[in-house]
Amino acid sequence: MTMWLPLLGLLLGISLGLLTDLQIPQIYSNYLSIAVLAALDTLFGGIRAHLQQIYDDKVFISGFFFNIVLAAGLAFLGVHLGVDLYLAAVFAFGVRLFQNIAVIRRILLTKWSDRSKVSETKVQE
Amino acid sequence: MKKAINWKFTIVLLLIGFMIAVQYNTMEHPKERDTRDIWAIRQELAEEKKIHSELLTEIRDLDRTISSYRTLSESSTGQALRDTVDKLHKKAGTTDISGPGFTIEVRPSVESVAYGIPITSISSDLLTRFVNEVNRFKGIHMEIDGKRYTMMSSIRVINGATTVNGLNVTTPPFTIKIISPTMSDSEKLYNYLLASSIHDDFYLDNLVLEINPPERDVTIRGYPDKFKNLYLKELPKGE
Repeated sequence: MTMWLPLLGLLLGISLGLLTDLQIPQIYSNYLSIAVLAALDTLFGGIRAHLQQIYDDKVFISGFFFNIVLAAGLAFLGVHLGVDLYLAAVFAFGVRLFQNIAVIRRILLTKWSDRSKVSETKVQE
Repeated sequence: MKKAINWKFTIVLLLIGFMIAVQYNTMEHPKERDTRDIWAIRQELAEEKKIHSELLTEIRDLDRTISSYRTLSESSTGQALRDTVDKLHKKAGTTDISGPGFTIEVRPSVESVAYGIPITSISSDLLTRFVNEVNRFKGIHMEIDGKRYTMMSSIRVINGATTVNGLNVTTPPFTIKIISPTMSDSEKLYNYLLASSIHDDFYLDNLVLEINPPERDVTIRGYPDKFKNLYLKELPKGE
């Protein structure tokens, strides 16, 4: 149950976006793609924090919006300065995304092996 | 606590999903910019209006047929059906037809004769081009070198010779006959062809078109073969 609600939200969001057939002009698609990346980064960061029990509401929500705005702003600045600054954002978020996912994987693996150990000890008893 | 986290995750995921979907939409179906100016739009509108008026004419025609069916008594239904069949035959080009029209002679050009350039059969591309040029006008009937050109006709190269309906077109000179619905239509087509750039295309192949002025009565032959009926089937009687 706890897992399904966010997943439902994701599906709802995707179907909402596809059904409304909303399109943004081609020149702004760069901003949106980087915003998506920032959002994903924050999301995985949030999941990691939750698993490490250091999750904080304010950090998560503020990080979500702030990262998006920062990434889009960086891309905007890059376009106007003639430097592909959005690449910096892509790089930063990409690296962090991988790191966060790696941490999540390790935590889940540890949990899983702990659980199987517990069940083994139970069987021995 | 856990519930609150879930709600926030759900909202964030909803936003992410929405953003992904919008990005996907933008990437998959980029909107084409409408760069037409007002005259291009007007021209398109004019074309649509033309189609509209043609469709209306067709509807009126069909309405007339229906009302003729209605008004006829039971005994003469057969006659009405026969009339329709005749009309369809005429439209399909299986019957001989005469009406206002003109003839066009395709001849080798004077220069090619003077230089002694061998006269070859007209190329199928050129003939197709000519037919397309003439077909800008509606409701015409055409005969190319004695072969009736209908909707089902084909212009092909068979064993190196250009053919219409599978029959060879003789090397020039030969005659093309065109019949229009009315004399004024015929004159319009005549004037159009006189000024058309199709003459240049023919001249490149060492041919010239001699277009004779419209006459009141031009007769062209019907399509000799029977049409194959691929779609309609006769129902057994009594069903």
